[in-house]
Amino acid sequence: MFRNYLKIAFRSLMKNKLYSSINVFGLALGMACSLLIGLWVKDELSYDRFLKDAESIHYVRVNFPYNGETVTNNITPGPLQEAIAKDVPEVAAVTKFNWGDERLIKVGETAAKEKGHFATDDFFGVFDLPVLAGKPKAALAQPNQIIVTRKLAEKYFPATAGQYQLVLGKTLQLNNDKFYVVGAVLENLPTNSTLQFDWLVNWKEQEQDWMKTWGNTSFSTYVRLKPKTTLAQAEMAMKDIYPRLAGKNFETGVPVLQPITDLHLYADYKNGQSVGGRIEYVRIFAIVALFILLIACINFMNLATAQSAMRAKEVGVRKVVGALRSSLIGQFLSESILTSLLAVVLALGLVWCVLPTFNEVFGKQLTLNLAEPMLWLIMLVLVLITGFLSGSYPALFLSSLQPIKILKGVRLQFGSGPALFRRTLVVFQFSLSIFLIVGMLAVGRQMNYLRTKNLGLDRENVVYIPLEGEIANPKKLETFRQEVMRQPTIVSATTTMALPVNVQGSSGDLSWPGKDPNLQTNVSCMFVGGDFTKTMNIKLVDGRDFNLDSPADSSNYIINETAAKLMQMKDPVGKEVNFWMGTGRIIGVMKDFHLNSLHQAITPLILCFDGRNTSYLLVKTRAGQTQQAVADLNQLSKQFNPNYPFTYHFIDEEYESLYRSEQQVHTLVNYFGMLAILISCLGLFGLAAFTAEQRTKEIGVRKVLGASVSNIVGLLSIDFLKLVLIALVLATPLAWWAMSKWLGTFAYREDLSWWIFGVAGTLAILIAFLTVSYQSIKAALMNPVTSLRSE
Amino acid sequence: MIQTINLQKLFSTEEVETTALNGINMDVKDGEFVAIMGPSGCGKSTLLNILGLLDNPSDGDYNFYGTEVARMTERQRAQLRKGSIGFVFQSFNLIDELTVYENVELPLLYLKTPPEERKKRVEEALERMSIMHRRNHFPQQLSGGQQQRTAIARAVVAKPKLILADEPTGNLDSKNGEEVMKLLGELNDEGTTIIMVTHSPYDAGFAHRIVNLFDGKVVTENFHV
Ligand SMILES: Nc1ncnc2c1ncn2[C@@H]1O[C@H](COP(=O)(O)OP(=O)(O)OP(=O)(O)O)[C@@H](O)[C@H]1O
Ligand SMILES: [Mg+2]
Repeated sequence: MFRNYLKIAFRSLMKNKLYSSINVFGLALGMACSLLIGLWVKDELSYDRFLKDAESIHYVRVNFPYNGETVTNNITPGPLQEAIAKDVPEVAAVTKFNWGDERLIKVGETAAKEKGHFATDDFFGVFDLPVLAGKPKAALAQPNQIIVTRKLAEKYFPATAGQYQLVLGKTLQLNNDKFYVVGAVLENLPTNSTLQFDWLVNWKEQEQDWMKTWGNTSFSTYVRLKPKTTLAQAEMAMKDIYPRLAGKNFETGVPVLQPITDLHLYADYKNGQSVGGRIEYVRIFAIVALFILLIACINFMNLATAQSAMRAKEVGVRKVVGALRSSLIGQFLSESILTSLLAVVLALGLVWCVLPTFNEVFGKQLTLNLAEPMLWLIMLVLVLITGFLSGSYPALFLSSLQPIKILKGVRLQFGSGPALFRRTLVVFQFSLSIFLIVGMLAVGRQMNYLRTKNLGLDRENVVYIPLEGEIANPKKLETFRQEVMRQPTIVSATTTMALPVNVQGSSGDLSWPGKDPNLQTNVSCMFVGGDFTKTMNIKLVDGRDFNLDSPADSSNYIINETAAKLMQMKDPVGKEVNFWMGTGRIIGVMKDFHLNSLHQAITPLILCFDGRNTSYLLVKTRAGQTQQAVADLNQLSKQFNPNYPFTYHFIDEEYESLYRSEQQVHTLVNYFGMLAILISCLGLFGLAAFTAEQRTKEIGVRKVLGASVSNIVGLLSIDFLKLVLIALVLATPLAWWAMSKWLGTFAYREDLSWWIFGVAGTLAILIAFLTVSYQSIKAALMNPVTSLRSE
Repeated sequence: MIQTINLQKLFSTEEVETTALNGINMDVKDGEFVAIMGPSGCGKSTLLNILGLLDNPSDGDYNFYGTEVARMTERQRAQLRKGSIGFVFQSFNLIDELTVYENVELPLLYLKTPPEERKKRVEEALERMSIMHRRNHFPQQLSGGQQQRTAIARAVVAKPKLILADEPTGNLDSKNGEEVMKLLGELNDEGTTIIMVTHSPYDAGFAHRIVNLFDGKVVTENFHV
C-alpha cells in the first residue's frame, strides 16, 4: 500500500512540475535559511563553553557609584588580582593580563605582529586549555619562556612539521628585544572563544609601576571559583577589598562577577547590572529564522491545499473501489511528509554549499556536522511538523468528501474556511516581508548615517602608525614627526595615546578652584602631542592648541564644550584646573566632536599635552595623495625604525570597526530579508497560478463575452493586492516599534520617517503585482477555446 | 439478494426540494442482470448510488444481502462496500497517475490481498478484458474502449457479488459498446449480479429484466428470458 502512495506521490510531483518545484524549493530555501541562522545562533550561544569547567570561570568588573547612578568598569586595576588571590578563599585561581597586545615576533627572517598576553602565573589555574606539548603552567612561571599556539608553532617553526615536542626549547624574539624559549604549545583557540591570543609571557616581563596602582584600570581579570561556591558568595567576599585597600577616591568600588559563558552575549552593563548585549541580535535572528521557516511552511501548506483540489477525482475513485477514510488520510500525510523530506535533503545541500561563504562573511567556523544526533532530531521534527501541517488539511478535508459528489464532477466547494485561511497566510507572510523591508531600509539608513556623519573631526585621509621600536622613544619620535610633516604629501601629524574616534580612558580626578565638592566629574581624557587639532581638523571655539615651544603647556589643558558645560564655566580659557599633569590652565576649548561610537553621547573631554604617553602617530595626508603619502611614510619608517615592519591603518577603518556588530546585522538583515521576500513571492506565485488555473473556465467564458486582457488581469490581481494592503497596515506599527527600539541604542540616529513605510509598502505591492500578473496575463492571453474545451 | 422497500430520496438545496426517488420497491435476485431505463433526470443514477451504498436514502428500507443498510453511517457503508460491489461509470473514472495494472490492483490493495494472490488476480482480470498488453500504459494513452475495459477489470478483480454500471457504453462508439456489453454478459453468465443504467434499448436487451423509471417511480418492468 505504502509503495502505491509513494508512486502516486512521486507521479503527482512530476505531473505538476511547476507547483512541485515551487513548493519543494520554497520550503527547502526556508529550511536552509533557518538552519543557517540556527547554526549561527548555536555558535553564538556556544561561546566559551569549550573551556573545561566553564561554569566556574568568571570575568571581573568593578561598579562605582557616580552621581546617583552606578557605572561599571569593564577592565580592572592591577592590584585587584593580587588582593583577590590573597584575601578571597572562595576563589580557586585568579589571573590578570593586559588587553590583547600585538607584538613583533621574529624567528630568523620570519617576523610579524602577533596577538598575545602578558599573564600572571595562575593563568592556567583559571583556563585549563588543551596542551599539545610541554608544561604551560611551569613555562608561564619562568621569566624567559613563552607559550605559543599551534598556529604560531607552525608558522615560525615549519620544519618541525606538526611534531610540537620539537618546538619546545626553540627561541623567538619578542618586540625586537628579548629572546624567549618556547616552553609549551597550546591548541589553537576556537573562534567561539572570547579569549584570543597566540602567545603568552609572564606578566612580570612588562610590569611597570603604574600598573600597580588602583587608579589605573587597564587589565582583564578572571577568577575560577572553588567547587560549590556561588557567584554571590564570591562577590560578597570581595566586597571589602576596595574600602580596605584601594585608598582615597576609589573606596567605593565593588567587584562584580560575570560567568564567562555570558561574557560574549551579555556584555552591556547599565547601572551596575548586565542588560544584555549581543544576545539581542541572537534573539532577533532566532525569531527571524522561525518566521522564515514559518513562511516557508505556510507556503507549502497553502500550495498543497490548493493543489489537493485537483486530486479530488482520485479521492472519489479510491473511495468507490474500497478506500476507507483512514487510508486516504494516511496517503495524503505520507505524501506531504515525503515532499518535506525532499525539501530537507535539498536544504541540507544548500546549507552545505553556502556555509563556506557564510563563514567568510561572518568570520565564523560553522560546520554542518552530520554526525550530530541533534541535527537529525531537528530535521526529523521539521519534516514531521511541516509534513503534518501541510498534509492535514487535504487529508482531512478531501477524505471527508462523498465520492458520488466528486465523481459527478461537482466543482469542489472549498467553502469560505480554507479560502479565508489561505488569505490569512498570504497576509501574514507579506506582513513579515514588509517588516523585513522596513528593517532593511531603516538599518541601511542608519548605517549610512554612521558612515557619513560629520563627527566634528576629519576621519578621511587620516593614517595612523603604531609607535614601537625606535620611534617609541619620545625624543626620536618628535624628529620623526617633524620629518613626516615636511613631506609634501602630508598636511600634518600628531601623536596620541588613544585613537580619537574611540577614546576609552576616563577619570574622576579633575578639579578646579571653586568646584562643588559634591559634583562628581567623570571626564574622558587623552594624551596628545603637538598639532592635534590641526591634524584632526577639530575646531577651536576659543583659545589655542598646545605649543611645543611653550614649556608651561605641559601642565595646561584643552577641553571640549561638553566639559566646559560640566564645569559650569562661561569663559573657561585661562581658568585654573588640576588634573593628571598637575595644576595648570585651560588654554583652549574645542567644538564637540564624537570621541566614541554613536551609541554613546558625547562625553566631557580633557586633553593633556604629553609627548611621552603615546601609542600612535596620526598623519593627515593630502586628499588624493594618500598612496604616495603612505609610500613616503614607509620610506621614513624604514629609515627611523629599521627593525620593525611598517604597519599603517586608516582611522576610517577603526571607526567602521566600531560598528562591526551592526554591519553584520545589516548584512544578515539584507540577505534574510531578500530571502523572506523571495519565499513569499514563490508562495504567492504558486497560489496565483493555482487561482488562475481554477478560474480557467471562468476566464474563458468572460473572454468569449468580451472581457479584455486588462479586465482579466485586474480581476485576478486585485484580490492579492488587497491582501498586501492589509499586510501593510498590520506590519507598519510592528516595524515602527521594533526599529525604534533598535535605533534607540544609538545616541545619534536617523529617526524613522513615514517614507520608509511608503517605500516598503510600494515595494511589496509592486513585487506582489509582478508576481501575480505573470500568471494573470498568461491566463488572460489564453485562447478561450482551449480553456473551455478542457472542461 | 437485494431488496428495497419504499425508497425515498430528497435533495434539498437552499430554494428547491427535489424528490429524486419517490417510493422505489425493487428486488434483485442473485445472478440477475437488471437494466434501469428512463428519461434524463428521472433518478436512475440516484438509485444506483443508493444500491451501491455510495449514498443513503432519505427514507425507506434497503436490505443488502441480509443486512439492513438504509441507516448506516458512511463509515459502515464503506466497510460493507469494500470487495462486495464493483462499479463501472460512463466516464471510466480511472486514476490518471496510475497505470492500467495499478488501477486494477487498487481494490485488492485496500482489501489487503497478499502480493502473489494479488498479482495472479490482476493478471487474470487484465487477460480476460484483453488489455494485458497495455498493462503499463497510463489511462490517457488508451482509447475509450480500452479505458472502459480497464474500469471493468477493476470492477471485477475483487470478485464482487454485485456489479453496478452507470451508462457504461455512454462514451463509447457502437463497436466498443458492443464489446463492453458482451463482457458484462459473460460476467453475468458466471454468476455475478449486474445492475446497469442505460439509455440504449439495444444494451438493455442484454439484461434479463428492464426496470423503467419515471419521476422517481418504477413505472413498468419488462421480463426477457
Ligand atoms: N446532489 C444533488 N442535489 C440536488 N439535486 C440532485 C442531486 N443529484 C441529483 N439531483 C436531482 O435528482 C434528480 C435525479 O437525478 P439523477 O442524476 O438520478 O438522474 P438520472 O436519471 O441519472 O439522469 P441522466 O439520465 O441524465 O443521468 C434530478 O432532478 C437531479 O436534478
Ligand atoms: Mg445519470
